[in-house]
Amino acid sequence: MAQETIYPGIPPSILRRMGKAVRMGIGAAIPIAQQNNVDGIIIGTANGGMEDCIKFLNQIKDYDEGMLTPGNFVQSTPNAIAAQIGLLHKNKGYNITHVHRGLAFENALLDAAMLLSENPHHQYLLGGVDEISDYNYNIDWLDGCFKKEKISNAELYNSNSDGTIAGEGAAMFLVNNNSVNAVAKINAVQTLHTTNEEDVRQALKQFLQQQLPAAQQTDLLLTGENGDARQSKCYIAAESLFDSHTTIARFKHLCGEFPTASAIALWLVCYLKKLPQHMIKRQGTASAVRHIIICNNYRGLQHGFMHITLEQGLHNSI
Amino acid sequence: MSRILVTGLGVISAIGNNAQENRKALVEKKCGISTLSLFNTRYSGLRPCGEIKTETGKLLSTLQAKEKGTTRSSALALHAFHEAVQDAGLTAKDIASSRTALVGGSTVGGMCLTDELYHDANKSENGSAYLSSYDCASVNLYLQKRYQMSGTINTINTACSSSANAIMYGARLIKNGFAKRVIAGGADSLAKFTINGFNALHILSPENCTPFDKDRKGLNLGEAAAFVVLEREEDVKGKKCYAALSGYGNSNDAFHASSLSEEGDGPFLCMQTALQVAGLDTAAISFINAHGTATENNDLAESRAMLRLFGTPPPFVSTKAFTGHTLGAAGAVEAVFSILNLNYQEIYPGIHFTHPIPETGLIPETHYRKTSLQHVMSNSFGFGGNCTSLIFSKV
Repeated sequence: MAQETIYPGIPPSILRRMGKAVRMGIGAAIPIAQQNNVDGIIIGTANGGMEDCIKFLNQIKDYDEGMLTPGNFVQSTPNAIAAQIGLLHKNKGYNITHVHRGLAFENALLDAAMLLSENPHHQYLLGGVDEISDYNYNIDWLDGCFKKEKISNAELYNSNSDGTIAGEGAAMFLVNNNSVNAVAKINAVQTLHTTNEEDVRQALKQFLQQQLPAAQQTDLLLTGENGDARQSKCYIAAESLFDSHTTIARFKHLCGEFPTASAIALWLVCYLKKLPQHMIKRQGTASAVRHIIICNNYRGLQHGFMHITLEQGLHNSI
Repeated sequence: MSRILVTGLGVISAIGNNAQENRKALVEKKCGISTLSLFNTRYSGLRPCGEIKTETGKLLSTLQAKEKGTTRSSALALHAFHEAVQDAGLTAKDIASSRTALVGGSTVGGMCLTDELYHDANKSENGSAYLSSYDCASVNLYLQKRYQMSGTINTINTACSSSANAIMYGARLIKNGFAKRVIAGGADSLAKFTINGFNALHILSPENCTPFDKDRKGLNLGEAAAFVVLEREEDVKGKKCYAALSGYGNSNDAFHASSLSEEGDGPFLCMQTALQVAGLDTAAISFINAHGTATENNDLAESRAMLRLFGTPPPFVSTKAFTGHTLGAAGAVEAVFSILNLNYQEIYPGIHFTHPIPETGLIPETHYRKTSLQHVMSNSFGFGGNCTSLIFSKV
């Protein structure tokens, strides 16, 4: 569960009406939107305000379509996060919400890349947000997404059972073409739909060949490994492409699994000064981290790769 | 950069199961709004809708969609997608190519299944067959699987402008070199969720909706799916082309969660941006397929935005009086109608209009006519202030 802040900058009367996804999204966006003029808002979220959505649905059922209040309905639309950020900051620019489940954030990132190519002097607010509500937890539980046994997050990767642990979060980024003071450079994003791990391996191999010509190596591979026995084959296939130079790390013991968790992965590589030991699966020989590949998949079907370079370099270990 | 051309169309709505049936109904002023007969809600006799009169089971069996957990929204999407790719002459290999993208808009997704969702969200056992079918992405994930698509797949939800944004995003994928060909559109089916939501907002009309009329009483909901095939001009030599997608604009009204600003800033800006992208003056627009939901708020704000931008707006109409407001599918349905306008060089008349809105005096087209059309604009505005305008041009 995401620990919420006190959300400075949102009037209490407005905050009260927001669902958690909207609050988290806006809470993460405000520091960026207040300090920078952005030309547009690009959000990836699989479900948006799921809690409001089902609250409204339950009203429909429980009151047999009687007189209902529209508040939950209006808040429940997945575009409410991007819309509320636009509304709070009177931003009339490009505004969009990508909802392609496990690739909602990757598609938002691709959108941002295209916008920056179309408008080289613009800058955009880019983010990924999803919440755990009782309701989507319940639906995903019934669908076998989560482990049946109790498990500590420290033990996540030692588990051999099906399922993972639920998560939620919001990560926001200011993206532009200006390398001065940039935290990181996102070079490319690629997506793929397949349940076949060999397809994943081939696609990632091709991605690496395009992104990292001969002399360059991947210093860090950050994967979305999530302790679900059914999904490990894809990560094993991906890891097989990297030699001992590359450090392999994981992050879902920190945030759990959710459709836009890759936004958290991107935030982590931008934010961390050092890679904590608990994230490291295999220590590589690379002395500093410059080239990073994030490799994530959602429910074994939706795969996303990102190539990031850090100008400052990230220290490889504690 | 070569132009982006439309080489295939597919649509299913309350006025027809394919593009030709839809066109015939538009020409003949045949309204698709009716009393609900298939969809079960307590508002059946009270709120007319643009209902597609084919049961979900029949749709699924006709389409041979036997997969467990396939929803009505997915079935409608498949129906229109199939028509569009056939129309464009795409082979199974073309569709499955990594250079072919799919971008679809949806707002309801699988939430049309109220009873199943209610059960699955609240009960801890006996999950239904639809556990992975409720979200908006489920519609396009179904198409991806069915056609073994390996290119970029995306789902967009910007409420009622979702599929207009899907078409815009598709065009940008091609322009930026991320796809060679895009199948873009959207699908939404009737749902208790939306009927009750719009009803609670008091914007559902108890009668047939009357876009741009002084006495309009709100919108009629509808259901539909529509897709267009977009290809690069250099790749379609000798192929039938309906129109070019020449402009698009997306902007936010940043005024209110569920209504437009009085002067229609979002609508104004998205139309203006679309003109800039197309490199056209306002005078070049021959016709507008307006958003025209027939709510008090939309039609006034949209009229004011058109007056501000165009001075004297070109002929315009809202085809929602035929189909109802098909939400996430509306942008794609109306894109198809705009493309048909251009292809047949004809204007489809508005229906149920009597008196102009006193503040603006704008009168939509009310008679079918053949005329010369060069550029047609299609507007879509959604909750959250998400406004998008597309411009299609004669080829």
